[in-house]
Amino acid sequence: MKYVSRRSVICASAGLAATSALSRPYIANAQAKTITFWVGQGFVKQEDAALKKTIDDYEKASGNKIDYSIIPFGPLNQKIVSALTSGDVPDLFFQDAPTTILPQAAWGDKLVDMTDVVKTQESKLSDTAKLSASFQNSKTKQRTYYLAPIKQAATPFHIWGDLVEKAGFKMADAPDTWDAFWDFFKPMQKVLREKGMRKLFAQGVSLTTVGPNDGNNLFYHFVIANGGQGVVTPDGKLHADDPKVREAFIRSVDYLTTSYKQGYVPADVLSWSDSDNNNGFHQKLFIMDFDGTISTELAMIDNKKAYYEESVTWGLPNGNDGKPMPGQTGAGGGYIPKGAKNIEVAKDFMKFFMQPQMMNENLKGGLGRWFPAIPALIEEDPFWLDPSDPHRAPYIKIALGPMIPQFNAFNPAWGQVNAEQLWGRAEADVIKNGMTPEQAIDKAFKRAQVIFERFSFD
Amino acid sequence: MSSTQQALAFGRAIPATRLTRQKWRGGLQGSEFAWAMAFVVPYVAIFLAFVIYPIGYGLWLGSEPALYSELFSDPIYLSTVTNTLLYVGIGVNLKMFLAFLLSGFFMRKRWWVKTVLVIYILPWAIPSLPAFTSIHWMLNGNWGFLNSALYELFNIDGPIWLNDRGLGMTSNIAAYIWKNMPFWTVIFLAGRMAIPQELYEAAEVDGASGLRRFYHVTLPLMANLYLVSTLLSTIWSLGEFNAVFFVTGGGPAMSTEVLATLGIRHAFTMGEPRLGVATVMSALPVLIPIVIILMRRLRKAEVQL
Repeated sequence: MKYVSRRSVICASAGLAATSALSRPYIANAQAKTITFWVGQGFVKQEDAALKKTIDDYEKASGNKIDYSIIPFGPLNQKIVSALTSGDVPDLFFQDAPTTILPQAAWGDKLVDMTDVVKTQESKLSDTAKLSASFQNSKTKQRTYYLAPIKQAATPFHIWGDLVEKAGFKMADAPDTWDAFWDFFKPMQKVLREKGMRKLFAQGVSLTTVGPNDGNNLFYHFVIANGGQGVVTPDGKLHADDPKVREAFIRSVDYLTTSYKQGYVPADVLSWSDSDNNNGFHQKLFIMDFDGTISTELAMIDNKKAYYEESVTWGLPNGNDGKPMPGQTGAGGGYIPKGAKNIEVAKDFMKFFMQPQMMNENLKGGLGRWFPAIPALIEEDPFWLDPSDPHRAPYIKIALGPMIPQFNAFNPAWGQVNAEQLWGRAEADVIKNGMTPEQAIDKAFKRAQVIFERFSFD
Repeated sequence: MSSTQQALAFGRAIPATRLTRQKWRGGLQGSEFAWAMAFVVPYVAIFLAFVIYPIGYGLWLGSEPALYSELFSDPIYLSTVTNTLLYVGIGVNLKMFLAFLLSGFFMRKRWWVKTVLVIYILPWAIPSLPAFTSIHWMLNGNWGFLNSALYELFNIDGPIWLNDRGLGMTSNIAAYIWKNMPFWTVIFLAGRMAIPQELYEAAEVDGASGLRRFYHVTLPLMANLYLVSTLLSTIWSLGEFNAVFFVTGGGPAMSTEVLATLGIRHAFTMGEPRLGVATVMSALPVLIPIVIILMRRLRKAEVQL
């Protein structure tokens, strides 16, 4: 018999332990009923409370557990990008407006196909929700659902009605075409300044490159009002050379920069962050602005006079051609990274969340800042168009009108166009660098074409 | 062959492997070596996990040459590099110089100087986000504190501070200095306090006073600390993004971006972390020589009076 030494026993034991650890199937995770869930913090506390209730309801109904982390917008973006890069991912992400990360991650084949989840409610979803939930995958070369959409938002005008009246005007007289509607507020500035409001401006427009969203969102609505919504088509192609598109972009830059140069816009807007327009509005430093959701109003809901009597939420006028102009919207919801350990439970939760009643109750709990991705819910539930709330109904009516998805739903390249702030830079080129709107837009489109070449669908 | 060598040659030959092992163990034997390993292994593990791995991972993330061609083709990149050099070059040197001067002021033994020191340190103690966000709002050209005060006190309209590259960069650098100068002032204060009082007394006996004492005693004794601190601060500041991110946000029109803020934009706004890492890594040609110089300076211990 061969002599068995202490060293050989130790070596054999270590080898056996290592072999068993590496060869054992990962049963524990397959059977787990707990998922880790990263979700964006709400703008108002009621949104977080509504989410917790949805989670509680699911846990009671399913017996599964959701280990959730509510994280502010900026840090959540960073955590998601880091997780997707390192591969150390939770089971589910949930974001209000994953406009850049989601298309990029889908393009890079980093997400789990959510078709089976979306199919449970697909027939009821709005067209924009469906388009904003599906993205091109560069590996499979197919467009697939990667988001289980829950919520959508529109962009309304936020107006100090009391200032309009103080200037001797009435909102009922506001014109119904885009540029004329914006012009309507310009003469009020002079009147109000003569009444002692020395630093008041007519328009609080974000011509900025700082905040990630507001400047782009404002600019795209100008582009749409000028007929340029065909800049990116669902096939992912950029149409910078389309004369109609180019003209729409030039007109948009021209209007905004002219307004700035004429002094109707605070000079600081070139460096505004996303919160600066809200802060300025709340302090009545300008008469109106144009910003996504009704968060501007909800932030002052405890100030009854300001919320119910002084501020006005206004829907979209017609485009400059006199025809109804579509609003632009994305979709917020849940998506699952590849590498998630409990995909089944994460999908099960999103199927639960997408049920019309759950979706509706959750979004109502959030005070209606976001509306359901299922439009029928808006018509069925009187909450959404309740006239006792001065802001929700005019805001929600935008959703019932024509809507188109954000351009990055068609090509992730647009996310980079947004991140590089090409249009804010074009506006600054006109204001600061003496370029004409034509030159500034041609320069921006040249860069956009370079970016799009990296995201070719062919 | 010497007699000693001959004597040793008669002894039992030690196997080569054993010799190598002994050499590797640094002369330690048995339990001594085991204890040494027990103390060293946790540090090595921590060093591998928290230094080597992150650096290696970062290098790997930014290792694709295509990332750099994409980065260099970005029209904003060149101005960002210029801004970074200005931000670090002016910011660090001005900050260190002022901190050095102020440390002399805080050496005074009046009671109120200590009170001022406590207040002076506050900006460093405040978290960056509220501190720099407050400055951003203070500099609002229309309604900010600074311009409102100028108007109320002198009836003049101040400039739109954050609307111009020059003023924006100046604001960023000023905010950076305001936030970080207290820390380095305290470092220099500690350095000055460590200078033996006898040296000053001896200099005074030799007839040196005021500037001469400063030139012949303080300056030589503080020179190494000043240089090492400046190098260290330069290394830290190349990656510093708080002041720029919260004061100008890189605006107007991304004209005040520095490499750190552009890297963050690439990584997290654009969702391209590899490009973000490459952006920051492009500072390495400047960073590595500074680190080498720093290491060489740290080896020097002697001071020439």
